Parts: sequence; C-alpha cells; structure tokens
Amino acid sequence: MNLHTRKLLDRSFTAAGFFAIVMMACALILILYPIISRGLGAYIFRATCEHRRVQFEEFQAGSRQEIEREAAEIAAVRQPVFDMIAAHEKDLKAELQEAFDQVRALAAAEGGFLQRSLERRLKRAHADASLEECLAVLSDIRESLKGQYDHERFIGVIGVITERKQRVEQAAGKLSDMKHALRDLLGPLPGDRRPELLRSHYGQTRWDRSLHYLDKFLYRYDWDYTNAENTGVKTRTPRADEFRGTDLEPAFGYVRDNIEAMMQPRLTFYWRFLTTDSRDAHFFGGIWPEVLGTFYLTIGAMLFAIPMGVIAAIYLCEYARPTKTVSLLRSCMSTLAGVPSIVFGLFGLAFFLNTVGVSDSKSVLAGSLTLALMILPTVIRASEEAILAVPFTYKEAALGLGAGRWRTVLTVILPAALPGILTGIVISMGRAAGETAPIIFTAAVSVGLAISPLQALDSPTPALPWNIYNLCTEHEAVDEIRHVQFGMVFTLVALVLALNIIAIALRARISRKLRG
Amino acid sequence: MPRSVPVLHTPPPNTGSTQYIQPVPCRLLRNIRRQNNWPRHTTADGTHKRTRIRMNTVTVSTSVKQSLMMSRRANRMQRLGQMLGQAFLFSITSLSAIAVLFIFVFITRDAIPFFMPDAGSFNWSNIRQFFTETAWYPSARPGQFGALSLFYGSAMVTLGAVLVAVPLGISAAVCLSDVLPFSLRQIVKPVIEILAAIPSVAYGFFALVVFAPLLQNSGGSVLAFGFWLVALPVMGIACMLAGETVGARFSETRRRAAALTATACLGGASLALLWLIGRELSGMSISSGANAFNVSIILGIMALPTVVSVSEDALQAVGRELREGSYALGATRAETIIKTVMPAAISGILAAVILGVMRAIGETMVVWMASGNAAQIPSPFYNFMEPVRTLTATIAGDMGEADHVTGSSRYHVLFALALALLAFSFIMNLVSEAIVRRSRKKLGK
Repeated sequence: MNLHTRKLLDRSFTAAGFFAIVMMACALILILYPIISRGLGAYIFRATCEHRRVQFEEFQAGSRQEIEREAAEIAAVRQPVFDMIAAHEKDLKAELQEAFDQVRALAAAEGGFLQRSLERRLKRAHADASLEECLAVLSDIRESLKGQYDHERFIGVIGVITERKQRVEQAAGKLSDMKHALRDLLGPLPGDRRPELLRSHYGQTRWDRSLHYLDKFLYRYDWDYTNAENTGVKTRTPRADEFRGTDLEPAFGYVRDNIEAMMQPRLTFYWRFLTTDSRDAHFFGGIWPEVLGTFYLTIGAMLFAIPMGVIAAIYLCEYARPTKTVSLLRSCMSTLAGVPSIVFGLFGLAFFLNTVGVSDSKSVLAGSLTLALMILPTVIRASEEAILAVPFTYKEAALGLGAGRWRTVLTVILPAALPGILTGIVISMGRAAGETAPIIFTAAVSVGLAISPLQALDSPTPALPWNIYNLCTEHEAVDEIRHVQFGMVFTLVALVLALNIIAIALRARISRKLRG
Repeated sequence: MPRSVPVLHTPPPNTGSTQYIQPVPCRLLRNIRRQNNWPRHTTADGTHKRTRIRMNTVTVSTSVKQSLMMSRRANRMQRLGQMLGQAFLFSITSLSAIAVLFIFVFITRDAIPFFMPDAGSFNWSNIRQFFTETAWYPSARPGQFGALSLFYGSAMVTLGAVLVAVPLGISAAVCLSDVLPFSLRQIVKPVIEILAAIPSVAYGFFALVVFAPLLQNSGGSVLAFGFWLVALPVMGIACMLAGETVGARFSETRRRAAALTATACLGGASLALLWLIGRELSGMSISSGANAFNVSIILGIMALPTVVSVSEDALQAVGRELREGSYALGATRAETIIKTVMPAAISGILAAVILGVMRAIGETMVVWMASGNAAQIPSPFYNFMEPVRTLTATIAGDMGEADHVTGSSRYHVLFALALALLAFSFIMNLVSEAIVRRSRKKLGK
C-alpha cells in the first residue's frame, strides 16, 4: 500500500468515527425534538373558550364575570348556525305535513276505534315536536295501519307515508351527522339532553383540535371500497354539497369564517396541567396524581437504596480485604446489575407481595422496595468510585492525627466523597423515576387519585411511566389525547434530564476542585 | 509516512509509585480535632484548653500520660465494638448478594410448577412444547405454551440492536478516546449521558407514536434514506481505494490521472447501482410500523451509551506506551488503532458488546409498545419488517391477565420465561466478568 492510500484510509477511519458521533447526536435530537416540542404543547397552547369553561366549572379557576361575558359573546356568534339548523328542521317537518294531513283525513273519515288510536298518535307529533319524534310517530302509524285486518284499504296513505318518510329520513340522517360533527366541535347544541360523559359536555378545548374538528365538520370522510382488489380509499366530500339549496347551506361557510370568534383561541400557559388531577380519563385536567406517584416511588426507592448502597460502598472500599467472599459479593452485585428490569418486577410480585406480604395488593411500598433493589448496584458502584477518588493523602493525614478508621471514614472520607456520591445518587434517582417494568406488577395502577404519604404504605398509585404506556396503548381514544401523552412524556423526560444536569454540574464542580 | 504526528490524548499513566501529592483541605482535618478526645488541661483562669502535644517536649503533663494509657478493658470493648460494626457493615453489604440469591430462588420456585406439575416428575411434553413449538395461546383450554417464537423474537431484536449499536458504538468510542480533543470530548460526553438517561418508556413512546407511523406511511423513503446515508460514504471510500490500487499499476507520471479515471468510472457505476437499490427500497411499503426493524433501531440507540462508554474505557486502558510504539514505527492513526490498540483492548470491547446485548434483551417497554406483539416467527425468518414478540413483552403483557389466576400454568409459564431471561443474563454476566478478568491479567493490572 502506498502512502496515499494509507492516508486515505486513515482519514476515512477518522471520518467514520465522526460519523458515528454525529449519528448519535442526531438520534438524540431526533428523539428529543418531538417530545419537547409537542410536549410543551400540553403546557403552552392556544386555548379556546371551552378550555376556560372547563377550568372554571371543573377546577374553579378563572373569574365568573369573564366566563359569562365570553359565553354571551360566543353564544351571539354561534346563534345563527343554530337558527339555520332549526329552520332546516322546520322545512323537513313541513315536508312531512302532507302525510300527516292524509292521516288526519283518514282518521276523520274512519271514525271509531281507528280514529281514536290515530289521533292519540297524531297528538304526539305536535308543532313543537322534534323531527325524530315526528318520524317515529309516522312509522308507528304506518305499522298500526299495516296491522289492520283490512289494510289494503289504506294502501294509498301508507304509500304517501312511506315515500315522505324515506325522503325526509335521508335528509335527517345527513342532518344528524352534521349535528354530531358540530357537537364535537362546539359542545352540546341548544336543546340537547345533558350528555352522560363529561367529555361531551364541552367542545374542543384546544385550537389545534378545533381546526381538526372544523375540517371534519366541513368535509365528510368516507372509505370507498368499490375497487374490491385494493384496500379502501379515503374520500372527502364537502358537507355543503349535501345540503345544497337548503337553509343549511350557508352554515358551513359561516362556521368556517367565524370559527375564531366561536372558539376565541388565546395563547395560554396552562401550568395547572402539572398541578391538577384529570377528569374523564385524561380528557380534561392535568397529571398531578401521576407526578406525585412518581415522586413517592422515587423517594421511597432512594430511602432504601441510599443507606444500603453507601454503607456497602464504605465496607467494600475501606474494610473489605480481597478475600473470596468479597469477590463473590462483587460478582453478585454485577449479576444484580444485569438482571432485566421485568424480572425485578416479577420478583417484587412473587416476594414482596405474595410471600412477605408488605401489603395486600400493589402498593407504593412494594414498588419502592423493588426499585431500590434495582438501583442498588448503581448506587454502590457510584459511591465506591467516589470514595476511591478521594486522594489517599486525606486518609493518611486523618490517620496520622490519631483518628480511628471509622472516624476517618465519617469525618474525612465521606465529606470529601459526598459530591461524587450525590452525583451517583441523583443519576440513579433519574433511573428509578423513569423505570416502568418493575412497577407494573408491584405499584402502578392506570386510574387513580393522588394519595397521601400514609396511604403510600398500602395503596397503589398512578405513576408517570406506567400511565404513559397506558394512555398511548390502552386508552379508548388514543388520538384525542395525544397532547396529554406528549405532555406526560415531556414532564418525565424533563424531570430525568433535570436530575442528570444537576449530576453533570455537580461532577463539573468536583473535577474543578480536584484539579485545583 | 504521515506528515503530521497525531496528538496523543491519553493521560499520562498512573504508575502508583509516583502519585501526585494532594494537599489535604484543613476543613476536613479540623473535624477530627474537634471530635477527638484530645486531652485538655485547665488554665489559670478556669477555661478548658486543648493540650498541645509537641514532639520535642520531653515533659508531658501527667494528665496526658494517664489519658494516653488505655485500660485493657476499654481496649477490649473497643475491639468488640469494631467487630460488631464490621459485621453490621458486612451484613448490609451482603444484602445485595442475598437479593440476587432470592431473585433466583423465587423466580425458580414459581417456574418449577410449569415444568413439574406433579412434584418430582418432569412434564416432558410441556418442556418440549415450550422450547420447540411456536403456538402461544396461554388462554386456550388447555393452554398452549410454545415459546419458540418468543425466544426467536427476543433474539431477532437483540441481533438488530447489536447490528446498530456495535459498529456505531465502537467507532464513536475510538473517536472519543483517540481522535477528539479534550474540549470536544467534554461536549460529546453529556450527549451519551443523556441518551443513557432518557427513560425506556420515552423511547418506547417515540417508537410507537413518532417512528412507527413514519415507517408505515413513508417506510420506503426512510429505508432508502438510511441506506444512502450508510452506503454512499462506504461506496465512495471503496471506489477511491480501488482507484488508488489501479493507479498503482501505472508509471509515476500517469499514476494520478489513471487513479482519478478509475475512481470516476467506479464511482459512476456504483452510484448507478446505489440509485437502483435506493429506488427499489423507496418503492417498498411496510404494512405495520410496529415491527422488529423499528424496535431494533430504537434498542440499538438505547444500547449505544453502554457500548460506547465501556469500550472507550477499554481503549483508554490500553495506555500510551503501545500507541507511542506504534506511531514511532510509522503507523498512521487508523493502523495504530486497528492493529495495535484494538487487539489489546479486544476483551474490553467484547465485554461492551455483551453489556449492550444484555441491555437490549432485558428491555421491556420499547418492545412491548412498538414490536407489534405478534407471537410468530416472521416469514421469511430474516424479515425485519414483520411484527414479533419478545420474552420481556410477553411477561409484561400476559401477567396482567394471569395474576388473577395465581397458580395456574399460565402464571407459572411467565416465571419460566423470566427464568430463561435470568439464566441468560447470568451466563452473559459471568462471561463478561471472565473476559474482563483475563484482560486485566493481560494488561498486567
């Protein structure tokens, strides 16, 4: 190989190294970017008037006058749409009128029992009755006429009823579809019964979701399966086309043009996301119970792991002689570090819950113990490194002054190693906070309220890592609450990264101090 | 010969005999003085003062003498206390060892009923089914527990993760230990630390919510882009090398032109080839974004920090002398690293790979969320674009249904899976420890 080739190889080798490092940095950025940018969207977003209403009614936040003033403004803007719907319904009802007239005439002509039964039914279709009710009355009448022993006589009337009903039913179906879309966007329409689920009490609380639902209101999405060989094709038709020529046609343009006035989006910093609990399976509200649960689990794990870890490190560094027992201990520790996290979870279930019975069911205590076992090797190793990094001269000086071994450890070595130990502890705290597998069977539940520290001894808690999993795989409306999922992931990652940045800063201080 | 001598970034060796003398902070020593029971004497005005001991004074006050003489009994008590203290420290330390023991015992205890339903006799058909069949229907009656596809899924995603993490990780480690200057290294290190710190559920969330839809909607383009990203530089270098070799056959005057021509021809041909392959790849469509490929990439990224930091340590441990020797013989940096440093550090690098494998195979959340969880062996068996299911995901996913029926075989089979995982990680751990020990012996430390 000549010199040129060797230089080329050398450079490409260097380039490969740089490539690897750049790829690593890119991976980090690519992973963190969506989590941070969309996760911040859970805290800072354009909140609509519905959001403020939820906050006021469910969380008692905001002023009453403000909410009422806004509600009046919005109602004024929304009213024309509701009027158009009402007018359209009236038109449809008028189309049914001919059928009712025929029935009325028939009743008058027949007399007797049939007249009474028909009139009783007709009474239900009074002037204020809704379109659905009128349709129901008509089909009721048709069935009762068909049920007569000599129903051939009524064939004319039945024909008129059937024809009108079919025509109006088609239009009514489209109308109810459109009302459904409108409900998703604006919340319950006037005259609706109070819905059972809290999520349908309000319209869209976020501007981005509002635009999504505006699109669903303006266009109708269908799947076209006419080509049997292919999978379905999504089709999009403007809803305005379906109502061409009716009173409702201008409604779509009106909603499109006035959506800002209807929703009143305002850029909001929603800090309550962190400090309130959730309503209706995370449709509204925040993530406080999860944050608190993570906090309990982490603190609990540290309560067990720090004393054990630091004492073990002291023993291994200062007291243990290199005997067979100690090397066995060390290899046990590295085995413990290599045990998969899910196996820790199973062990916690089989040992802490099923055998020892620290609590009747899953509990924060059992989860903390399991997590403590899991991070124990990390704490031991970090503390050991910190203790070994204390210069030998410190120890010599302390011993030279007449301090015993124990006193040397307590008064000289530990204080000197403290920043290093803290670094290790903070890093393993981050690990404990983010770990999911060990708490699945021992501590975490999907739905729950914030618990008090005393309850932590015997009751399970929601926790950030588990609920992230739960919300993005098992929730009934995964796409509706993407922002909550991203907000949770962002909160967890921010928590862990903050801990790590603290650790990095601590270490930078130590190395500065050691270098003098 | 290389014109510029590469800069060595390895720190000077710490031989032990020439330790730098560290100044002891007074603050720490003051602690001792304050707490130690130094003899005191009373001054004329009645205040207590600590006695000063001077080495050169012959006359030491009698009170000091008395206090320095320790009674035999106190001595014994003190030694007993020391022993008890040490025993206490030892027992706390051995808790972690006991924990390992308990983990083995309790996982095995709950796994045994699956293999031996009637105490004392193995259920061979169960065992055969467990290891050789792929039908995993734990809720069927009777349950079918063919775990082969789960083992296969775990092996597959681990292999994929290794394929991603090992080349990248080792090149990054080499770059960190031998190429980058100190200041840049200080920037790159936190990147690695943050990658290691991100919780696994966040990786899983990214894989499921961001990466899987991307793969499903524009999988072909992603594949083509990744392929170009890796193949283009490799092809470029290969073409230039080939051009050089061709050029070497010509006479001195025409060498340069010949090399350039050959490089250009080869480059054109390989570009055409790359373009064809890229077009083929970008035409591919992936039916489900949650598949082994997705999980392998993410697991690879998760295992990267382990691989990088452990192998960097190994490379650093090789020391300056070997590198200096190699450079002195006229080797380039690449030759030094590949022919001298890497062989010396090979055991450490192997240990890094093993730790990476353990990280990947023991990971739960990412595979549970993003692998598709289909208990099947993909067809053909190397198809990474199909969903798979791993051991860890099965334990996590099935235990939720099985813990109501504690004691049934679908409960115990999960412990059997855990036992398999545990045994694997234990063996891997032993192997890596043996390797590290051997390397220490070889390096004479």
